[in-house]
Amino acid sequence: MNRRESVKKPASAGKSATRRAGTRIVPVLAVVAAVSMLIAWSGSAVSAGGDQGQVVKAKKYKATRPFVPDKQTGEIRMPTQQEVDEIVSNLDALGQRPTETLQQSAQANGAVSLDLDGGFGGIVLGRPNADGTWETKCVFTVEEGAEFLGLVEDDSAR
Amino acid sequence: MHITHRFQPARLRTAAFALAVLGLVAGTVSAGPAQFVIVNINAAGVGFNDPTPATPVGGNPGTTLGEQRLIAFQYAASLWSTRLDSSVPIRIRAQFTPLGAGVLGSAGPVSVVRDFPNAPLSGTWYHVALANKLAGIDLLPANDDINANFSTNFNFYLGLDSNHGTLNDLVTVLLHEFAHGLGFSQNASLTTGALLAGFPDHYNSKLFDTTVNKFWPQMTSAERLASATNFGHVVWTGSYVTAGVPNVLSFGTPTVAVNSPVSIAGAYQFGTAAFGPAIGHPNVAGNVEAAVDAVEIGGTSTDGCSPFTNAGTIAGKIALVERGLCGFAQKARNATDAGALAVIIYNQAANVNAAPAAMGDDGVNGAFVTIPAVSLRRADGLAIAGQLSVGVSANIVIDLTVRAGADPLGRARLYAPFPVVGGSSISHYDTIASRNLLMEPAINPDLTHRVKAPDDLTFELLRDVGWTFPDADGDGFADDEDCNAHSITTATIVIGGIDTGVPNHLFETGCTSSDLIAALHSGAGNHGGFVSGVAHLSDGWVADGLISGREKGAIQSAAAKND
Repeated sequence: MNRRESVKKPASAGKSATRRAGTRIVPVLAVVAAVSMLIAWSGSAVSAGGDQGQVVKAKKYKATRPFVPDKQTGEIRMPTQQEVDEIVSNLDALGQRPTETLQQSAQANGAVSLDLDGGFGGIVLGRPNADGTWETKCVFTVEEGAEFLGLVEDDSAR
Repeated sequence: MHITHRFQPARLRTAAFALAVLGLVAGTVSAGPAQFVIVNINAAGVGFNDPTPATPVGGNPGTTLGEQRLIAFQYAASLWSTRLDSSVPIRIRAQFTPLGAGVLGSAGPVSVVRDFPNAPLSGTWYHVALANKLAGIDLLPANDDINANFSTNFNFYLGLDSNHGTLNDLVTVLLHEFAHGLGFSQNASLTTGALLAGFPDHYNSKLFDTTVNKFWPQMTSAERLASATNFGHVVWTGSYVTAGVPNVLSFGTPTVAVNSPVSIAGAYQFGTAAFGPAIGHPNVAGNVEAAVDAVEIGGTSTDGCSPFTNAGTIAGKIALVERGLCGFAQKARNATDAGALAVIIYNQAANVNAAPAAMGDDGVNGAFVTIPAVSLRRADGLAIAGQLSVGVSANIVIDLTVRAGADPLGRARLYAPFPVVGGSSISHYDTIASRNLLMEPAINPDLTHRVKAPDDLTFELLRDVGWTFPDADGDGFADDEDCNAHSITTATIVIGGIDTGVPNHLFETGCTSSDLIAALHSGAGNHGGFVSGVAHLSDGWVADGLISGREKGAIQSAAAKND
């Protein structure tokens, strides 16, 4: 069940919130237009096409450096193979760019949309430094993430 | 509202000197701060709904872990809300789930849209939140706009005050990831160079390669692929970012450049060393010579792992050494001992497709290195080596004429290292930027929650792709930075119904002449006090050259007649 909650404004935004009451005409028009869009919502799916599709291969990775804080000792340790597999699985799900399967939807008003199917997002990774701080990096692909975390393809497993 | 800026002479002495004259043309009505809706898709008891008791921290008043996570999300969204203007709520589909060690979270646009009503560029993808803002309607009302999935495994700092110590500041991470979802990312493939489904995106349209002098949509796939690794030569051409660069980025770009021969001249991508002096300490300019040393077992005469046999030639030059066999610090120590000015270590064949190395110390030799050491790609190292017979002149310097993170023309550089870094290349600012920017790939611990110049350039880039800021009176000042968000914006100063005919100036604070007079009217205890105040104010304007004596008379006369 989705639960929608409006964002709270910081104290400094109070003035702006009050001011919005004076510009209701635009939201009203937007609502009217949105209703029109809803009525027109009969998008027809067309193929995304393009030449950039990437086939996601199931690679096996192994760790080469410790980066997991141990829950018992607090020490940074090597990830277990199960943890490596879990990380790679999540990177794969978050970072994939499944362009071959994306569907364009033509709208009645001429607009065309493309659902990115959960891909195309930035993934934030962290690895510990010796001084207790964390190095944080935004990546977009499994390969990028694996390199940052010191995960290398494990050919011996295949 | 259209505003024509007209800078005033330096002799203006009032604190609020005139910046501009109101054009007073009916213009776009601000939609107001964008409303962000956090769509919590966690099940009961987990993620945002985790009931684990928590102590309020850093201004986050939540008393459970779930509450604190949600409040941090809401706070990050509110920071963008004050900066961005939209009549269409931005829906962030959000959850906290176990993501595995090292994976902190992810966020990005749910959809992209092209050829929608009011689209600035036809045949161009826009992130859906931006498309909605530009269209003024929710183009995909059944869908959310941004995906956000963060880790329950990771111990984020959940305070709102940036006082995160050694922990990762969730608000900063969210500001970064939300920016990607709002439009700070491109969608062309960095594997093939192909555009997304055959169409460029709004971000592509501002990407310019200074080597081939083309924007990304103008390029072939092969050219885009090459551009993605054209270190230092992919720049953002949007006017807001370019205008912000001088206020954010400081002069002084670490540079490794070949000056001659012309065939290989230019700035090179390089790596730095964890030992020895940093680049620029001192600046080095000189000829490059290949170091020669004894061939050890498994080594070569170019690996620099033993004392150089051509030390007499190397002295006073920049030594060129190949990576491999021994540590970087040992090579640099041998170069130091040979009297080199600096040392360049380029990748060996085994690392032919690798980036220039980040050179670590071996704990022994680094202490003896007194010259700058840099690393290069193998291709660049070989290019230099191939020209040594005709002489190669190079600089390893801090270039004080170029801002760190910008090109020589002052345009912000995008992250374009070799080899390409998945999707991170191009969709971030260059890591060479100084100060650190929110939208570099590394989310640095010194970042603040401020997203615009003079602290950052994220907001400026979002403006370049079509976002505007909340500006109720259309005076060009964001409401939260405007001394009067509802300024009196008549063309001329009108007092008590009397049009003075005197231009109503806009001051750098966001107030107009009429605002100041209205404030005097509100604050004055009586008519005499108001007239006196107006006289004092208008006298100052005359002294500052803002109005003429005749115009002052018109203002003071109208004030005197005002009830």
